[in-house]
Amino acid sequence: MNRHWCLKLVLATAAACILIPVALILVWSVTARWPWPDLLPVRLTLRTVRELFLGSAQLPRLLFSSVALAVATAVLGTAVGVLTARATELYAFPGKGLVRLCGLLPLLIPGTVFAIGIHLTLLRLGLADTLAGVLLVHVTVALPYCIAIMGDVTRAVGAGLEEQAAVLGAGPLRAFWLATLPGLMPGVLSSMSMAFILSYSQYFTTLIVGGGRVRTLALVLVPYIQSGDRPLASVYAVVFVGSALLIFFLLESAIHRMERGGKSK
Amino acid sequence: MWKFKRVSALALALALSISLTGCGGNTDSSGPGSSRSNGDATSGQSGGQPDLATASWDEIVETARGTTVTFYGWGGDENRNNWLNSDVADYVREKYDITLEVVGMNIEDILAKLAGEKEAGTESGSIDMIWINGENFYSAKENGLLYGPFTDQLPNMEAYIDLEDPETLNDFCMPIEGYEAPYAKAQLVMYHDSAVTSDPPASAQELLAFCQANPGKVTYPAPPDFTGSAFVRNIIYELCGWEQFQDMEADYDTVKAAIEPALDYLRELNPYLWNQGTTFPDASTTVDSMFADGELVMSISYAPYTVAIGIDQGTYAGTTQTFVFDNGTIGNTNYMAIAFDSPNKAGAMVVIDAILSAELQLSQYATLRELPVVTSDKLSTEEQAAFDQVDMGQGVLTQEELLSHRLPEMPADLVPVIEEIWLNEVVGQYNG
Repeated sequence: MNRHWCLKLVLATAAACILIPVALILVWSVTARWPWPDLLPVRLTLRTVRELFLGSAQLPRLLFSSVALAVATAVLGTAVGVLTARATELYAFPGKGLVRLCGLLPLLIPGTVFAIGIHLTLLRLGLADTLAGVLLVHVTVALPYCIAIMGDVTRAVGAGLEEQAAVLGAGPLRAFWLATLPGLMPGVLSSMSMAFILSYSQYFTTLIVGGGRVRTLALVLVPYIQSGDRPLASVYAVVFVGSALLIFFLLESAIHRMERGGKSK
Repeated sequence: MWKFKRVSALALALALSISLTGCGGNTDSSGPGSSRSNGDATSGQSGGQPDLATASWDEIVETARGTTVTFYGWGGDENRNNWLNSDVADYVREKYDITLEVVGMNIEDILAKLAGEKEAGTESGSIDMIWINGENFYSAKENGLLYGPFTDQLPNMEAYIDLEDPETLNDFCMPIEGYEAPYAKAQLVMYHDSAVTSDPPASAQELLAFCQANPGKVTYPAPPDFTGSAFVRNIIYELCGWEQFQDMEADYDTVKAAIEPALDYLRELNPYLWNQGTTFPDASTTVDSMFADGELVMSISYAPYTVAIGIDQGTYAGTTQTFVFDNGTIGNTNYMAIAFDSPNKAGAMVVIDAILSAELQLSQYATLRELPVVTSDKLSTEEQAAFDQVDMGQGVLTQEELLSHRLPEMPADLVPVIEEIWLNEVVGQYNG
């Protein structure tokens, strides 16, 4: 009973730590002036809402490009993650450690150095300032996470079921699709969520590699944070968090429906 | 079967690594993205239009018609973003059929990007126009990141700009030589809430008394923040005069000896500052927010009409008031330049010329409340009347008050030296 109470306290603290700042951002998004030590804002404003919908930032286009880029990153990153994990977990080959290390490299190199270096490379390849270039970089940033997540899941699932399917006469693709993939699904979903949120929140890499031509929500949000325009930064932050949550919610419910549909068969 | 798979996986890995080294070996030749122009990159005169330097203005306008121009600059000012995307974009679309694309990017990132493109040998990049000044202009020009000279070809330079004005000729005392055109004028101002503090300081000595009367409630942004750095230079002007710095050598010891009285003064200020001067806010925007929150009684800005905008938006109390030192504050101009690898230099020249027009300068003055760069001597009576009619809002100084208290900037190469001295001699240090 006592332990139960403790657990609840910890959970409540954790929830408060997340929810109070989010609530503050909501209030700040329509606050003009809120000096210390007033408990409530002194003056509210609709400037931010006006700017959001009528300003020059073109919110629908921004949302579309951010979401499309993040979904593409999630799909590509996870696909590479599944295949890399398969290679390193199920096969023995020389240089396996090196492949694993290379998969982690984008995580080990400081972000700024990584962005500048990859910008030079993409310039030479003619991919700088293009959507394809930005997608490639986002996938590279997401890869260490995708590979790590898929590595764990692949190790847990193993090759047993697939071998069994092969023994029963299934071709390699069919064996993977029907025997292994369902077991990998929880990992695939985590990996996709991780890649999505990483791409969604990329600022510096998008800025440098996209050259400002590829515009995402983060690219508009961050300058307002830097310029200290708290109401505008807050209103964009609300859109940022809200849209990401909405996507996750849609994804979750789609999966639930899929799982239920799968079981009823 | 498993053995076969292992072999094919190995083959795949090998093929991958070969293709990777293939890419690495390829880097010396220019990539497909850089083969669009055939001019000579080192002359700085090339790009899409080889004989732009000798072309007549009509030919330049014809070349620019129907094109897209990108304008890269700081994107943290919502009002400026909207102004560029509406007023300026509409003006150049109607008049020249040019599409203006505004891209928000910090100047350090813009220069890093250009330097990268220079290193990669790009001849046709993505940046056309750049919002720039001071040390950044100096280093960009030194490193060949800018196209020019081009300003003597712009009709509105001759029509509206005072060509003998030191700020048209020099940027932070560094010769412009036609590599950038003026955009707007800025001037350092301070502001306080007259409902909280009654007498704003009119000199450095009064500022010391002001800090003593409001301990812990005054601070300034830590250089190299743009505004903080200008504030420190302004204190130096207060205590050491400004003339001697205009041709001073950028040598650490020379500069330190010259500014010793100011360093003394700043150390004397420290015990009364926020956090006892052991730390300073990282950016002027942080100081602005602290002032808006009532944590500080005074703030500093390089935008002379910022208080009017703050009162309009409700960020600042209606009793907020701008002030300057009796001996004056530092003013500078910010400028527009063209990237060395701009794919549309003609278009950039046309847009820059448009922004120099009396019409857009007036619209900038009225909408953004930025000091115009056009000189009143060259304005028609109607144009001058339109400027005079603009209501600058509450809590600000008039254009005459500002301009009569305007001091010139220091040479750009002294700026980083002073910032270094400040870091070594002022932060967290006290006299005696």
